[in-house]
Amino acid sequence: MRVNGATRTGSPEARKTLADFLRDDLDLTGTHLGCEHGVCGACTVIVDGRAVRSCLMLAVQAAGSEVTTIEGLAPDGGMGTLQQAMWDSHSFQCGFCTPGFVMQATAFLGDHPDADEQQIREALSGNICRCTGYQSIIDGVLLAAERNRSGQH
Amino acid sequence: MTAIAAERYTGASIKRSEDPRILTGAGRYVDDIKLPGMLHAAFVRSPLAHARVISVDAEAARALPGVVAVLTGADLETMTVPGPDTLMALMGWAGPTPEFTLLATDKVRLVGDPVAVVIAESRYVAEDGCELVEVEYDDLPPVVTAAFALDPTSPPLFANLGDNIARPHSRTEFGDVAGTFADADRVYDFHIDVHRHQNVPMEGRGCVASYDADLGVMTVIAATQSVHVSRLAVATRLGIAPDKVRVLAGDIGGSFGLKIGASREELAAAAASRLVGRPVKWVEDRGENLTVSGQAREESFDVRAAVSHDGDLLGLDVKMIIDTGSYPGLGVTVPDIMQGMLPGPYKLAAMGFESTAAITNKAPYVAYRGPWASETFVRERVLDLIAKELGLDPVEIRLRNVAPRTDPPALMITGRPLVGVTSKESLERVAELVDLPAFRRRQAQARAQGRYLGIGVATFIEAAPGPRSPDGPSGPMGMESMRLRLEEDGIVALFTGQMPHGQSHQTTLAQIAADEFGVPFEQVRVVVGDTDVVPFGLTGGSRSATMTGGVTLHGARQLKAKVLDFAALLMEASAQDLLITDGNVWVRGDPASAIAVSEVAARAASGQFGAGSGVDLEVQATYDGGEGGWSGGTHCAIVEVDAETGIVKVERYLAVEDCGALINPAVVEGQIRGGVAQGIGAVLLERSAYGEDGNFQSATFMDYLMPTTCDVPRIEIEHLETVPLDADVNFRGVGEGGMIVAPPTVVSAIEDALSPFGVRIYEQHLPPARILELIATFSGGGVRAGDGEGV
Repeated sequence: MRVNGATRTGSPEARKTLADFLRDDLDLTGTHLGCEHGVCGACTVIVDGRAVRSCLMLAVQAAGSEVTTIEGLAPDGGMGTLQQAMWDSHSFQCGFCTPGFVMQATAFLGDHPDADEQQIREALSGNICRCTGYQSIIDGVLLAAERNRSGQH
Repeated sequence: MTAIAAERYTGASIKRSEDPRILTGAGRYVDDIKLPGMLHAAFVRSPLAHARVISVDAEAARALPGVVAVLTGADLETMTVPGPDTLMALMGWAGPTPEFTLLATDKVRLVGDPVAVVIAESRYVAEDGCELVEVEYDDLPPVVTAAFALDPTSPPLFANLGDNIARPHSRTEFGDVAGTFADADRVYDFHIDVHRHQNVPMEGRGCVASYDADLGVMTVIAATQSVHVSRLAVATRLGIAPDKVRVLAGDIGGSFGLKIGASREELAAAAASRLVGRPVKWVEDRGENLTVSGQAREESFDVRAAVSHDGDLLGLDVKMIIDTGSYPGLGVTVPDIMQGMLPGPYKLAAMGFESTAAITNKAPYVAYRGPWASETFVRERVLDLIAKELGLDPVEIRLRNVAPRTDPPALMITGRPLVGVTSKESLERVAELVDLPAFRRRQAQARAQGRYLGIGVATFIEAAPGPRSPDGPSGPMGMESMRLRLEEDGIVALFTGQMPHGQSHQTTLAQIAADEFGVPFEQVRVVVGDTDVVPFGLTGGSRSATMTGGVTLHGARQLKAKVLDFAALLMEASAQDLLITDGNVWVRGDPASAIAVSEVAARAASGQFGAGSGVDLEVQATYDGGEGGWSGGTHCAIVEVDAETGIVKVERYLAVEDCGALINPAVVEGQIRGGVAQGIGAVLLERSAYGEDGNFQSATFMDYLMPTTCDVPRIEIEHLETVPLDADVNFRGVGEGGMIVAPPTVVSAIEDALSPFGVRIYEQHLPPARILELIATFSGGGVRAGDGEGV
């Protein structure tokens, strides 16, 4: 599979999840496991353009796919527009749910650049954050959408 | 250089220095640790709530390729030191002390009780191994309710106790309880229940333990609120000298009171590492987290309230029973805090309080964000119920009873002075912000259309840290320590025992130190999470704003004085004439004299000034809390209840809070909003549910429902910063208030919405099915539109 733009190969056991493959075999520990049953969204990555729960997908199912994790959003550990907007908005606290929200919102904004608050809330309703009450996260996504539209970083 | 202008960081919403790593996937949480040769632990857990363990057969598991060891409870006993729970011992608990083992040996006491641990080359294989361990159980009657636990016929969970009483019944009276009730115009009786729910940090518990047999050193990388408390547990249970145990922590994915010290599983992983001579990782999965990590808040209250015809709350008499679950935990100490806090900001004349703590076959009671919060729920609920009886508005009854600020301050009937408390101001401000008369008009119009809107308010105070004791030698939260050092590269390093797990200390403490010392924010480094370099400390109890903020401020001041004493030699000036701003030391009135603090530090380290010149630019600071003070405020919710589906929508939520001076407003507001979200979840969604057989029924996120983006509204926040008490440190804690006061606020609003049905609410958990039951019960099937309005 291609992960964050590079070809990566491996021979995981058939039962190994994509999340565990990314974390254990490829050392991409930015993807977090929050529930391992597809509810919390912390493990969300982008596979072939769509946000997926990497705890519910087997690594072998992603063979040949294009996978993007949080480490691949911006070059050299920098921040993309969404990450920068989330920093500016004090979006997160403990940071454990963060990769899932960032990936889910990245996929959503890609398809819905003009989304309003209600649409963003619905799009992120499958991701759980225990720290923030969500408002700061929503504000970060709204700010990123606005910056994307106006061409700012 | 012309002007050296200092930027002031404290009080500004400085962007968090934690975020660059967190937002790019570069955070380092315990499950991200990978050590050479590392093995993985998985636990065999009891499917029964209460049973004898007849036998444990691990032969098949041991034979599985990839399994390195299987340890039973009996095995662990030979490898560890028996004794009471170290956290309870640390807290000085002198009551009933159950004897138990790290893993179950003779019996299991809750569903999920660990019986054996499998150590294997991967977590997958470790879990395969667990499947092969055969445990034979002999069922015992489960003790699932506190009522049964307190019945002398219930089978004791712990043989050495002989009953299921974790804390014997006690009663305390303040003021003239009998006289107050005898003279009262009215006396009301209420039974109020608070349901069991839990912390649920997004990251569960976990550790990587690594024993170096050559050095005899145990290193544990942990997710913990205190590396030192964890070290104490590891050293005590494993029989290793504390100086041979090092506990480290990196990023931590939330806790809310859950991760204090080392758990039974973490201690078992550490013991296993010592046995097999390789690092062992254990990270709990969500099922383990929900089932066994710990739960909170299962309390019931029989309340008598003495009231005047005009709505003066004269006295309370409360009998509390707390269900502390199976293994020892914080629950036994909670009644003392509840008793002290129950009067809140109100001028009660008398109070009686009695409590009993029961042991049941459920998960242990752990601290959960405002562990004493039920006192606020009970008190605020009682005020609303009395207001309903007397036809008073919820704001009106509170303003009538709240103690105004006076000099000297009023005393709570339980003793502490209500110094600087702004409850009255926050109530008045909430009433202005929501425009109560306008809401009542809108409510009446909505009801005419069959829509049920309601408004609720609740007020709280939080001892964060609490007022200085008039006769005590130190502040209310003991001492806080910090080591501060000017490094050779000019970095001001703060070594703190705080162990942040979302609280943003790396940012907020740096703000304070940068201002006080005089360096740019980026030039301060906050060092946490290593028992070898940080002093004792604990993140919890909303203590860090005052206690750690205070030690940072005073420590930075001491360090600055030490640096200036040395710089005075270097610059041939009097220390009194020197200033530090923007990372430079300069002579007052002569900006051209400025030299960088890094140069001062480098010259100090060079040794050229010899002994006696104070070249070690380090100080050890302590802080006792100063004048302390209360946090508090009033929250208000407006809800709409769908009487057909029972679904509650929180339409608007306001918080008027006073936590003194703000270090970082965005961080403060994040703490408030996060707490409120947990409170909304506690009322509308979350419940740790057990069946009659003690089986746990909410072990997944499909069953334990967490609030999402669609459940939590925008939360409007206004800050009062009314009363500085201390000359320097007026930051007060804000971590727990949202979770303390949101449940009574939301329940109050729901009751108001349902007043046309005559509904009165005596409980905290109100999912849709329960809302429909309440409507059916109180209305007897028929709607009495327009009846029972609050105003």
